[in-house]
Amino acid sequence: MKSVPFSVASRLEGDAAVIYPKGYLNNLSGESLVIECGNYISQGITKIVVNFSETDLINSIGISLLLQIMEDLKNIKGTICCTNMSKFLRDTFEMLGLIQHMRVFPVESDALKYLSAGKV
Amino acid sequence: MPFNAIPAEDFLNRENELNYLKGLPALKGKALGGDVFLEGARGMGKTELLKQLYRSLFWEDQAVPFYYSFKTANLKGAYFAKDYFTAFVRQYLACAKKDPSLADNAAEPLPRLMPALSSLGLPWLIDCIENFEEQTRKNDFYWQLVAAIATPVVAAQKSGKPVIVMLDDFDAASRLYETSIGDAHGLISLFAESLQNRRCPHVITGSAGALDAIFTDHSLIGMTERMPLGPLPENLAITLFKSHLANLQITCASSIELEFLDILKGNPLYIRNIAKAAGKMQKQELTKKDLIESYCFEVSTGETAFYWSSVFSRYAGTAANRKAMVELLMHSVENGGLEEVARLALVSGVGVTETEAMLGRLETAGILRNKDAVLRDVIRCCYLQEIAGRDVNDVQEKIAAKYLSESEASCFELVIPMTSNAELVVAKAVEQIGKNMNLNDELLNYLQLALLEVCINAMEHGGSYEKKVFLKFITRPDKLEIVIENSGRQFSADSITHIPVEEKLQAGMKRGWGFKLVYSIMDSVKIERINDRTRITLTKDITEKEVVK
Repeated sequence: MKSVPFSVASRLEGDAAVIYPKGYLNNLSGESLVIECGNYISQGITKIVVNFSETDLINSIGISLLLQIMEDLKNIKGTICCTNMSKFLRDTFEMLGLIQHMRVFPVESDALKYLSAGKV
Repeated sequence: MPFNAIPAEDFLNRENELNYLKGLPALKGKALGGDVFLEGARGMGKTELLKQLYRSLFWEDQAVPFYYSFKTANLKGAYFAKDYFTAFVRQYLACAKKDPSLADNAAEPLPRLMPALSSLGLPWLIDCIENFEEQTRKNDFYWQLVAAIATPVVAAQKSGKPVIVMLDDFDAASRLYETSIGDAHGLISLFAESLQNRRCPHVITGSAGALDAIFTDHSLIGMTERMPLGPLPENLAITLFKSHLANLQITCASSIELEFLDILKGNPLYIRNIAKAAGKMQKQELTKKDLIESYCFEVSTGETAFYWSSVFSRYAGTAANRKAMVELLMHSVENGGLEEVARLALVSGVGVTETEAMLGRLETAGILRNKDAVLRDVIRCCYLQEIAGRDVNDVQEKIAAKYLSESEASCFELVIPMTSNAELVVAKAVEQIGKNMNLNDELLNYLQLALLEVCINAMEHGGSYEKKVFLKFITRPDKLEIVIENSGRQFSADSITHIPVEEKLQAGMKRGWGFKLVYSIMDSVKIERINDRTRITLTKDITEKEVVK
């Protein structure tokens, strides 16, 4: 585990927002992730990619906030894709039985391709 | 009875005390000595010293020994008087005839002893019996007591041979009553005359706390000296233990380190009981592991456990009070002492008044002053069995793990405040501990995650005055155990519901994933409530593939 302070960056790629959470995803940082996604949703963006390449740890509160974003998007018929998850992160979601309820791609470009192809 | 003393060769390191006590009649006769109060922790051998003194006096014939144990006495005055009186007559006769069986023969009515007393030329003892029976016929409670207590003095005066009166657990005499408990305070002062008599030295034992109170009685002040009975030195403790083992035909493995016996603090009762426990467990060649197992047996279900359990019950009075008392004692063990009554009443659950009374009784019994590790383990075992509902095997395993792990393992302790991101400090700590154990990165990540979850849970359920989470990491080559404790709201395994993921997602239940992760990662998760703290014990068995070569 690296002691990196949490930060969240994002960019718009076509009609999809790509979010980069960095560090330890817990209640405090999870809130900023929710706010970041909420900003895009309020702008009418319904496709979100969360790139976890720099997320080294997530706790159950972080997970619950991620589920919150999934639910918010589901309510507006949007889609969320998770990419670049470490084995540890994938296994964590697997343990909870959540992975089958998520769209997971090895890398960000795969998720963007999937979203641009309109297979939502 | 006084004759069931251990063999004299196993009674170590008390020669000076024994010789001093044997010389008491001469000292008291010259006003150079008085009565003696044997002082020492429970199990230190006070009763055994009395028995050894009794046996020695019985055969040496310089003085007549009389032993009476208040431990098992009926404290209703009339019963006590009869019991005390007949015990004295039997023991006196036994000593005169050098026939120990007469002292033990409680079924023999007093009139049947008359011919023997007559043939020994003890008419004054026959007078005593007739006088006592007269008081009994008159139903004169007070004079029955006086007559019984005075008999050893009468015997010493009439025969010219001193009588050494040994009163074991004498503090119980302060609870003598006439018809109902507490109806006749101060009957203990009837012993004053007997204690003052120059031909009748008294050797008494009892709880120091209780006897302090008794010796505020003016009639008893100034006549009694204290004789402290300390622990056996380390080498003698080991010698005694080996001697007990030899008597039980148990040998010690050549590799055995008996330092573990240090925990017994030279207490002869504990030393004997552990040796006996090893015998009961059919050990033949004792290893260190056997020794620890015998100890665990002893503190959970053996004679030591029974002894202390009886003491707790005696001072608790009722079953409900006993439960509250065990709670208080466990609280004391966990917190290194007891604090203010109002808070302790919350722990005991019996209200401030009863808690205060209970603390008084514990103080009187000397239990609170007793800091020995064996007692602490007995309390732990009582608590786990009686309050936490654990079975005895589980309890023994828990105690054994403590000592086995202490010898084979490293132990780290950490206290974190209940502030945001404090759990990351724990994650860092477990990372380094894991590295020290050569655990692979993947396992380390999972351990960190499990710990983060438990710490977050502790912080969520905290909120008490303490605002801290206490962690203990115990590492062994094949196991990592992490104990997390926090005060505050109760959290139990029952509150963890296992709802299917689909159902949870459909119902919009976003929380409640933490313990699912913890249970998935760890091999064992135990949640307990210890007084006002929640304790979660996480265990991870380390497999070969999880260790970096």
